[in-house]
Amino acid sequence: MSERRIGVYICHCGGNISDYVDVAEVRDAVADEPGVVHAETTMFACSDGAQHDMIQKIQDEHLDGLVVASCSPKLHLFTFRGVSKRAGLNPYQYTQVNIREQDSWAHGGDPVGATRKAIGLVRAGIAKTGASVPLDPIGVDTTARALVVGGGIAGLRAAIGLADLGLGVALVEREAQLGGWVARFGPMFPHERSGHDLIEDLVAEVRKRSSITVFTRAELVGKSGSFGNYSAELRVTSPDGGEPETVRTEVGAIVIATGFDTYQPEAGEYGYGIEGVLTLAEFKALVDTTPGPLHYKDRPVRTIAYIYCVGNRQEGGNAYCSKYCCSAAVHESIQVSDHDVSARQYHLYRDIRTYGRYELMYEESRKRGSVYMKFPDDTPPSVERGKDGKLLVTTVDALTGGERVSLEADLVVLVTGMVPRQNSSLTDLLKLPLGSDGFYNEIHPKLRPVETVVDGVMIAGACQGPKTSSESVASGLAAVTQCGGMLMRGTAELDPLVATVNAEACTACGECEEACPYGAIHRVTNGEGEVMTIDATACKGCGGCAPYCPEDAIDLLGNTDEQIRGMIDNLLEAGVA
Amino acid sequence: MKYDALVIGAGIGGMESSLKLGDMGYKVLLVEKEASVGGRMILLSKVFPTLDCASCISGPKMSSTINHPNITTVTYGEVKTIRRDGDGRFHATVRQKARYVDPAACTGCQECEQVCTVAVPDEFNSDLVARRAAHIPFPQAVPKKAVITREGTSSCTDTCPAGIKAHGYVSLIRSGKYEEAFQLVLDATPLVGSLGRACYAPCEAECTRGDLEAPLPIRRLKRFIAERHYATHDGPGVQPGEPNGKSVAIVGSGPAGLTAAWQLARKGYRVKILDSAPEPGGFLRQAIPVYRLPQEVVEQDIRNVTALGVEIVTDTRVDDLQALEREGYDAVLLATGTPKATSLGVPGEETTAVVSGLDFLRDVRFAEAPDLEGKRVVIVGGGNVAMDAARSARRLGAVDTLVAYRRGREEMPAHVAEIEDAAKEGVRFEFLVSPVTVVVDASGNVTGLRCTRMKLGEPDASGRRRPEPIPGSEFVIKCDLVIPAIGLVPDTGPFDSHVAVSRNRGIQVDPKTLQSEVPWLFAAGDVVSGASDITHAVGQGRRAAHMIDRWLNGGELDGFEALDDRLAAIDKAKVLSRQKSYTHRDPVKLDVSHVPAPRDFAEIEPVLTEAEAHFAAGGCLDCGVCSECGQCVATCPANAIDLSQHEQTFEVDVGAVVVSTGFKLFAADAKPEYGWGKYPNVITGMQMDRLLAPTRPFNTVLRPSDGKVPDRIAYISCTGSRDKTVGNPLCSKICCMYSVKQNQLIMGALPLADVTMHYIDVRAAGKRYDEFYEESKELGAAYIKGRVAKVTEKPDGNLILHYEDIENGGGLAEAEYDMVVLAVGVQPNREVERLFEGEPLGLDEFAYVAEPNDDLNPGQTSIPGVFVAGTASGAKDIVDSITHAGAAVAQVAAHLEKAAHTLRVLKEVAR
Repeated sequence: MSERRIGVYICHCGGNISDYVDVAEVRDAVADEPGVVHAETTMFACSDGAQHDMIQKIQDEHLDGLVVASCSPKLHLFTFRGVSKRAGLNPYQYTQVNIREQDSWAHGGDPVGATRKAIGLVRAGIAKTGASVPLDPIGVDTTARALVVGGGIAGLRAAIGLADLGLGVALVEREAQLGGWVARFGPMFPHERSGHDLIEDLVAEVRKRSSITVFTRAELVGKSGSFGNYSAELRVTSPDGGEPETVRTEVGAIVIATGFDTYQPEAGEYGYGIEGVLTLAEFKALVDTTPGPLHYKDRPVRTIAYIYCVGNRQEGGNAYCSKYCCSAAVHESIQVSDHDVSARQYHLYRDIRTYGRYELMYEESRKRGSVYMKFPDDTPPSVERGKDGKLLVTTVDALTGGERVSLEADLVVLVTGMVPRQNSSLTDLLKLPLGSDGFYNEIHPKLRPVETVVDGVMIAGACQGPKTSSESVASGLAAVTQCGGMLMRGTAELDPLVATVNAEACTACGECEEACPYGAIHRVTNGEGEVMTIDATACKGCGGCAPYCPEDAIDLLGNTDEQIRGMIDNLLEAGVA
Repeated sequence: MKYDALVIGAGIGGMESSLKLGDMGYKVLLVEKEASVGGRMILLSKVFPTLDCASCISGPKMSSTINHPNITTVTYGEVKTIRRDGDGRFHATVRQKARYVDPAACTGCQECEQVCTVAVPDEFNSDLVARRAAHIPFPQAVPKKAVITREGTSSCTDTCPAGIKAHGYVSLIRSGKYEEAFQLVLDATPLVGSLGRACYAPCEAECTRGDLEAPLPIRRLKRFIAERHYATHDGPGVQPGEPNGKSVAIVGSGPAGLTAAWQLARKGYRVKILDSAPEPGGFLRQAIPVYRLPQEVVEQDIRNVTALGVEIVTDTRVDDLQALEREGYDAVLLATGTPKATSLGVPGEETTAVVSGLDFLRDVRFAEAPDLEGKRVVIVGGGNVAMDAARSARRLGAVDTLVAYRRGREEMPAHVAEIEDAAKEGVRFEFLVSPVTVVVDASGNVTGLRCTRMKLGEPDASGRRRPEPIPGSEFVIKCDLVIPAIGLVPDTGPFDSHVAVSRNRGIQVDPKTLQSEVPWLFAAGDVVSGASDITHAVGQGRRAAHMIDRWLNGGELDGFEALDDRLAAIDKAKVLSRQKSYTHRDPVKLDVSHVPAPRDFAEIEPVLTEAEAHFAAGGCLDCGVCSECGQCVATCPANAIDLSQHEQTFEVDVGAVVVSTGFKLFAADAKPEYGWGKYPNVITGMQMDRLLAPTRPFNTVLRPSDGKVPDRIAYISCTGSRDKTVGNPLCSKICCMYSVKQNQLIMGALPLADVTMHYIDVRAAGKRYDEFYEESKELGAAYIKGRVAKVTEKPDGNLILHYEDIENGGGLAEAEYDMVVLAVGVQPNREVERLFEGEPLGLDEFAYVAEPNDDLNPGQTSIPGVFVAGTASGAKDIVDSITHAGAAVAQVAAHLEKAAHTLRVLKEVAR
């Protein structure tokens, strides 16, 4: 019989679970499991009140193990580890059982089956906690320095922000110049400050800070170590075309701010390729560089047609909305009218997405005479060569009852969005996950927008998804904050859920060393013989080494063979596995 | 207290700011005005575009926030002012509002909610349902601690001179808790039945409902509970206190003496009351006629006192107070009232046909009054004794009963109802007359009262205009009996040698402590104040008992909470402004038919029926919100409730400030054409989010008018946004997306329902937002481009939308829906305007916190060291708020590091 004193909580999740899983039945089914001394259901296990009750129960009943059956450990692993810690219970003797994402939500149509599965999963969780031992987190000293990859506006602002926290910074830019896209821009919304000037200011601020080391013509090509203590390998090309130099730099965290590319239309897409059909980026460059009324190829531009959502919101193409392009195009139309009040501007759109304050620009643009025509999603406009070097744009205008309208324009602006920058070597190096849209994926799109699943690697700016310049800056600073939280205290705690070698059984055959993708296993002398040893700070606990060991000498703390076997047995018994 | 940063507002932006600053190692003070952290996000159903359950993902953040070792969280608090000091740091005054619950003791069990007798709209459910005054804000509240909403003392309770919780017993009666209501009054005084009959009910005069139809019949509600109790109980249902070995003698058994005895006996004192009259009760017995206050009611009330072991000795006149002290009483309370009538001071007054009002009433009470059949009676005076005497005279057969009063009707001190009732019973009034002589014939019989006419001159000390005789206006009122009832005074003669007597001939005591110059001697009631009324006497009796107890226990003579430490009275206008309109409630009729010539002393007023009492109590407006009924106090298993808590303020010194005060939702009634507030089935997006949330009030989506599950639901986007007619040209950014989210959730919750959104542009601008929008179309949501002009209602509660259908030919169209959801937008929270002292915080033209450099320094404000996080600076969705807070925190930290660096340099220089 088990000597353990385990508490089990089964969460209703306000109906998310209990609408499908009979939580009371689950409780009754596990209440007499060996080692269980307390089992109860709770409306929201994560609520503060429930946490208080758990702490009270752990202390009153002297529990030495805790099982919470609720949602994904992604959500609440740390919540209940915290509860355990505050109650004086070793946090690694708590097991989170997912009966929501992996049960109630998946088997909504089969409440009986879902309940049976929940019983099996909870019993497995009890087995895991039942065989658990107290573990202590691994403390590491962190390096007070961060690496910023990308010297665009987000990366520059992040570098300054990091330096202002007292952290050292290595700023790596692939191009010869800092500044990225924004450096090429003239006036930008919302303050009509020139992008060029903004970047100049930022670069000057960077230069002022001796704690920032700038590497231009440089790329991140290697990374080793782990969170808090990464060693980054940079390849720096010399300006004179000589042999590239390799630089190693030690950092505690990495901010990726590699930016975006603009959508490049196919030849013929909305007439692209015909003279006078420009992308938004090309048009912005033209407006920024033309003093006075707009000219294109020495001809005055009096009529402009903008076609929105090019390369975005398209079935079969980029399904996403780039969100900045509406405001950017509307802003350019105001710029044009600044120099030529009588310029005729037609905006062919699907939805004008000038969200928040940008709505004021939309209003200003209309006030100045821009005409907005909504075309149906299934009937995009067409662009052809017209007479006298003009462009003939034909569209259906939903705002006038679906009338077919033909326009003669001097210029057609394809309002193109952002696309993810091709950076596969960096992506592979850092093992960064990509979203369905091809941009880097954050851990949680609502609450953790700049963190990634790779510890200590943040994403900022448009590499995470389309953004305006100000939004990129904000996310760059948010990444700074994240680094600050990790590095400013100088120490960090790592999970002790790592592999260990039973030195007595180890024959030092070295199979594990080869299997480890993190280089965490090394051979050491042990008295007369040799054994393998695992660096706990480098080990990720992936378990990849264990099956290679012919002597079965490797076990994974927190997921020991005994624990996993107990879980399987209980699942089999419940008829779930 | 010193902190690195002060964060104002614990919504998602404030929590994120605090957590990140805390993670960096800074000490943070987080102040939230609600009783829970979490802001609006915790109240949402799910979030777009992931459809994560909002409470699942914000709950842990809330918990982490208050458990973070570097964050001190003040909930139910308020930052009053912030001043920037010369050294660049900030000085803030923070107010901790009283929760009336000890948070350390409260376990969040919610038992107080179950017993609370006051319901108010639940702001955390967008007013869709009610919550209790004692409540946990919402199920996932952090901290999960109860709070009691108290906005002030309700006017009825505030005005009661006896300190009786009128609002409390009314709300208990409304809840059917009659015995609890009786016990609440009993806690103040044993005289529940007597007050229910004979109190002049100042509470009713102050009742806020009186500003609508009529005040609640509060006194008769008290009579109702008294009769319920006495009909079913043998005693008070209260046990005496554990004997404490001390004893108190009380001289006088009127309302003050009885009340003091009751209170002292409950505290364990041995109490003896001595009274010179043959029966206890003082004026309750001797002065108030039985048609108003039947004797058995007084007897029932007095039995409450004797049930606790109080000994009442009658027919015993006390002249020597020191003798009592010598007998071993630890304290003596003098409560002998005003037994002496003021004489008219006119010739002829000495005849037997001139009887003072008090003697007359006493004679009536003891059946010793003369037969007045066919007699004419003149009563001189305008007070309640005069009214009682006049109405008693009518009952004794007087053919003509005239009240002669030297001022006008308006100046009469008698209670208005008494005057009216007297008139209904045939009593006549002669105003502005004053007696000159009693006219006596040769055989010594009274034949009339010679009077002079009076006029009103300048106001006297009492503020009333002084009557002055009009020369030559004398006349005779013919009568057989003259009853002077012009005043009552204490009879302090026997005590003059022991204790000082004040100018009004009352015993001189400290008005707060009721202690005389002889420490063991206290005095209370009319013997101190002069003639007043029962409630004043009860209040004095309570006070005296409290102070005697304090004195005998060696304590400071203070802490009399019942009357001295109440919350300020609530402003009635504020109460009435809580609702736009009030349903008319017919006041409960007073079913008394006054007979012009009553001939018996039967009680004239009937008791309220249970149905009447219940209905009448249901009209209570719960002015102060909490009624102080005390149910929570009695029920709380942790003894955590403390209604005497006070708000506290404290000063803090902080290095930086983060303003994360959030936003207000657009008040949908500012678009009257959409009918919110008028048509029940028009709701806001926030209300729909509550209907869909895991802690939803009805467990499904129901429309408010009839609880029907809606089949056809319309959304009106841009309600209050992109709309200059309401002064807001901005796009609110979140409304399109929350509408799309709700569309998806509704289609999941109500698979048969059709959802249509009327939109201008669908602004699905954000990562995976447009894909989410497209999914909703695939699931079946319909989107119609064009503005909605107005909404009208059909008799069955269905709604007709009048709208433009741009994409289908562009004409005007109408469509019928079961329910309409207004996608209301974001408005600035203008509370930030008053935060900063001296140097105002820069706002933009729309009154959001301005960010002059948001292209490079988002979150920076016009004041160095002050930052803004989240929607306080403009509309943002959750992820934008999180990112914005992160950006602000980076700069807060930079600011703090710079300040620390400067300090280090200065120290170096100084060295």
